Amino acid sequence: MNAPDRELRKFGAANAAPHGVGARLPLIDGVEKVTGTARYTADLPAQGALVGKILRSPYAHAELLEVDVSEALKLPGVRGIVTGNDCDTPYGVIPIAQNEFPLARGRIRYIGEPVAAVAAIDEATTDAALALIRLKVRELPAYFDAADARKADAVLLHDNNKGNIEREVHNEFGDAAAGFAAADLIREDTFECAEIHHAMMEPNAALAAWDNERGHLTLWSVTQVPYYVHESLARCMKTDAAYIRVIKPFVGGGFGHRVETLNFEIIAGLLARAARGTVRLLQTREEAFLTHRGRPQTHVRMKLGLTRDGRMTACEAHVVQRGGAYGGYGLVTILYAGALLNGLYDLPAVKYDGYRVYTNTPPCGAMRGHGTVNIRFAFESLLDMMAAELGLDAFGVRRRNLLKAPTETINGLKVMSYGLPECLDWVEQASGWRERVARLEADSDGPIRRGIGIACSHFVSGSAKPVHFTGQPHATIALRVDFDAGITILTGASDIGQGSSTIITQVVAEILGVEYRRLRLIATDSALTPKDNGSYSSRVTFMVGNAAADAARNLKAVLVAAAAKRLQVAEADVEWLGEAAAVANDPARQIPFHDIVEEALVDVGMLTVKGTFTCPPEFQGGKQRGGAVGSTMGFSYAAQAVEVSVDTELGKVTVEKVWSAIDCGFAINPMSVEGQVQGAIWMGMGQAISEETVYENGRHKAVSLLDYRVPTIIESPDIAVHIVESLDPNGPFGAKEASEGPLAGVMSAIAAAIEDATGTRIRATPFTPDRVFDALNRKPPAGAHVAAAAKGAA
Amino acid sequence: MAALSEFRVLRPASAVDAVRLRGEHPASRFIAGGTDLVPNLRRGLVSTDIVIDLGNVGEMREVQRSGDTLRLGAGVTLATLAADPTVRASLPALAQAALCVAGPTHRTAATLGGNLCLETRCQYFNQSESWRQGNNYCMKLAGDTCRVAPKSSRCYAAFSGDVAPALLALGAEVELLGPQGIRRLPLAELYVDDGMRWLALGADELLFAVTVPLVAGRVSGYEKLRMRGAIDFPLAGVAAALTRDGEAIGELRIACTGVSSRPEFVGGLDALAGQPLDAAAFATIERQIKRTIQPMETTTVSVPYRRRATPVLAKRLVGRLWDEAKRR
Repeated sequence: MNAPDRELRKFGAANAAPHGVGARLPLIDGVEKVTGTARYTADLPAQGALVGKILRSPYAHAELLEVDVSEALKLPGVRGIVTGNDCDTPYGVIPIAQNEFPLARGRIRYIGEPVAAVAAIDEATTDAALALIRLKVRELPAYFDAADARKADAVLLHDNNKGNIEREVHNEFGDAAAGFAAADLIREDTFECAEIHHAMMEPNAALAAWDNERGHLTLWSVTQVPYYVHESLARCMKTDAAYIRVIKPFVGGGFGHRVETLNFEIIAGLLARAARGTVRLLQTREEAFLTHRGRPQTHVRMKLGLTRDGRMTACEAHVVQRGGAYGGYGLVTILYAGALLNGLYDLPAVKYDGYRVYTNTPPCGAMRGHGTVNIRFAFESLLDMMAAELGLDAFGVRRRNLLKAPTETINGLKVMSYGLPECLDWVEQASGWRERVARLEADSDGPIRRGIGIACSHFVSGSAKPVHFTGQPHATIALRVDFDAGITILTGASDIGQGSSTIITQVVAEILGVEYRRLRLIATDSALTPKDNGSYSSRVTFMVGNAAADAARNLKAVLVAAAAKRLQVAEADVEWLGEAAAVANDPARQIPFHDIVEEALVDVGMLTVKGTFTCPPEFQGGKQRGGAVGSTMGFSYAAQAVEVSVDTELGKVTVEKVWSAIDCGFAINPMSVEGQVQGAIWMGMGQAISEETVYENGRHKAVSLLDYRVPTIIESPDIAVHIVESLDPNGPFGAKEASEGPLAGVMSAIAAAIEDATGTRIRATPFTPDRVFDALNRKPPAGAHVAAAAKGAA
Repeated sequence: MAALSEFRVLRPASAVDAVRLRGEHPASRFIAGGTDLVPNLRRGLVSTDIVIDLGNVGEMREVQRSGDTLRLGAGVTLATLAADPTVRASLPALAQAALCVAGPTHRTAATLGGNLCLETRCQYFNQSESWRQGNNYCMKLAGDTCRVAPKSSRCYAAFSGDVAPALLALGAEVELLGPQGIRRLPLAELYVDDGMRWLALGADELLFAVTVPLVAGRVSGYEKLRMRGAIDFPLAGVAAALTRDGEAIGELRIACTGVSSRPEFVGGLDALAGQPLDAAAFATIERQIKRTIQPMETTTVSVPYRRRATPVLAKRLVGRLWDEAKRR
């Protein structure tokens, strides 16, 4: 594995193991996880908790006339039943697009939508009660793909959305017509991406405890965004947020499934209140697939102009996303798909038309690489195809279009650091790109053909404009120090396995220079920890990392002042040794950490020192229409080469080897960065070769991990990761995100590799054996490339 | 998945006792590894008041060689089977098939008998109770219509065991223990092409053991078509056994799985004996396989693909075995 070798700064004892930034450390909670002592929501002890379950709609689209719970309520052992009548406040992560109720009211819009929920003394009673609930409905025509939903005579899923369009986006940056006029080659093609799901390891679960005396609710959940859950609970339960406490215990992955409040979390709260007790609401794997919020089925029609030497002149993209039944994050997804066409290459003109369509399928939402992945598949694929037509090298055509930081894109995105050139250089060299032809031929064996492809991608390090505008800092960290001289880091940042708690600890350790053991981190308990917007859009390392650094510097200032007082010197004369402080140039006059803290506590008692971070307004996007979308303080960059073998007789694609270079600015923890990159590659590979949701009349058929085919360890290729450090001027120690950026290139790199191996370009994901088999056995249609002019408009 | 329903567990110490208990309790099921039965119970696909645990029946876990026959107790685990030196050396198709089932943890529990009796599978059947209810059920359980062949009067759920085709190709027999004692029959006769009643096993019979002939000079193998290299059931599976007389085929036996409601022995290959393995022979193999198999939409992977890929898998396997036989 390839990671930067660096001399790490060591405080105090020269032989102490480095644990500040740049150190290759296991995650601070890794041991608990691998030894099984970590407690996830479903593991939490809750003696006597009632068993909660949700009744879900078997109808794809219907008017909900009545939910009759009278028989169920009579069943002994039933303690509470809630229906749509119990919550008339719609929720949704985007304040201007809230159109979902935790339990359906008046209308059912997808198979699997919650209709009622029961809390009873045991599972058998809960099941029996669910079976006694009667639904009276009037079925409506249902639409399972975007084209049907958009038809003129289609019944509207939501009254105010003409044509079942949730959101249309039309914008143009630069002059696309002039760009195409200047092009030597213009090609247009269409690309299809199947809908995919996060398939996080831990199924959904919530534990809700209602304190009937005080009217208080405590909710433990699997969320990535405890603050949004808290906010939604207060609104939907019509109670003061002060009476609610939200705790996020260990979470087994999220990948975007949990970046918005989910219906079962509110249902758990409603149920606990109705039952006046504690309710454990465990969800099956099938229910996770029905709650969904994954990457939408996407149709992309893309047109690109290139000069003879490969310079991009203009890009036009027409994108249709099948969004599912409710808004969720959909608005952001369709905006991101257009805005983040920019920021990777120097694109002089982009015209974008995006359509997010309501359908009678589970709502889509955010998923790792939010909004960027499917459009990147189209862009990189088309770029490769055109480069081949022009006789240009895949690396060459990308190098021809690099940005030069610092710069601003045509849609006002600031690019302050840009390590893509170094990423490309490493990948080209490590993958043996120049010698590939002979090597791949030698490694091919009869019908098993080898091929290699490359692609680039990028992602934001946090959205510079938060979803909920509060005027508060974007991130806050508190450090608490008391008589014991332990330092407790209080953070609302949600560690969902990505390692945020480790990163925060390393940042604090770096600045204070104290022993790692002196630091303790307490996270995500609204009664204790500062609010944090949550783990989404890869914001935590950048924003919370900066807040942690600020907090540590603030605490250090307090401690240095105390040391100066105790040592009876000026602050400037204090030499900070981490676990001690000394008089500069007089190491014999030294006091240990406990003495420093003792001095600091005199008169004031326990210290709570804060640090914050806010993205400056100039990073929050340009003034022009659509300019704020995708704005961030730092983009991560990635390039990768993927080598595949294709069984041309059976259509089976095997990913043999991946070389991935990531510009994450600075690797606060190289081991963690490598793990995130491997995970991103692996997830992209799943979307590329095997994963897809499968609906039949709106009923999802692949609702288990047997039928929804996430790759196994056997499919996992050898992944070589190389870290490029472009040292972002605003990131904590130069760091940017490292987890989402490397994903979006994987699908097109694999498609390119398949073409390299077989001569056939596949434009639809996933590249399953039956699809590849069909593609390889299909006669190429005459004039496979259709000139742009020949195609009609939208 | 839902919680298990309530049932009693009986633990006989001998196979005879197990059969007796089965006779006494018609609403009972045998359980060995439980890797098929337990998830099916939890999904409400099968229900039972009494589970007869075969875990204490030591005689069913024996592997015995006598002369040219290997006798395998039905309770031998797939992990044991895949690692057994005789199986690996003389019956590689069986070892390979056992190794293809699910994942390592399943194979340490799952048994030979369980895999041979595996419940037939279908995308419309292997779902939760609420899913099936919402879809108005299907013929195999609680409904009237076969969802993959709505006009059909029978169920087309697919037999999806990996081990059966290997044993069919190897010419295995099974021992069934009933109240009257043991009866033997060729493995092929254990199966019926019906997704609901795929086993010709009497109500009070227990699959007790499998006997496999050890044929000198015979090579064999198993190839499995699946999306992932682990976990998945076969989209199609092909086992083959062959002997070679110089440049001529001595004997060629092929069997398939996952492509109908029973494991299918491919007939009509006897004529190839004495012939070279040339293009004509491969054409015969392809033709006979296509005549034998009938994949239906029991999985989300397309039927035409499975129909076309199965012969490819078979021809490739036969070609590999042909070369292997020459090296012997």
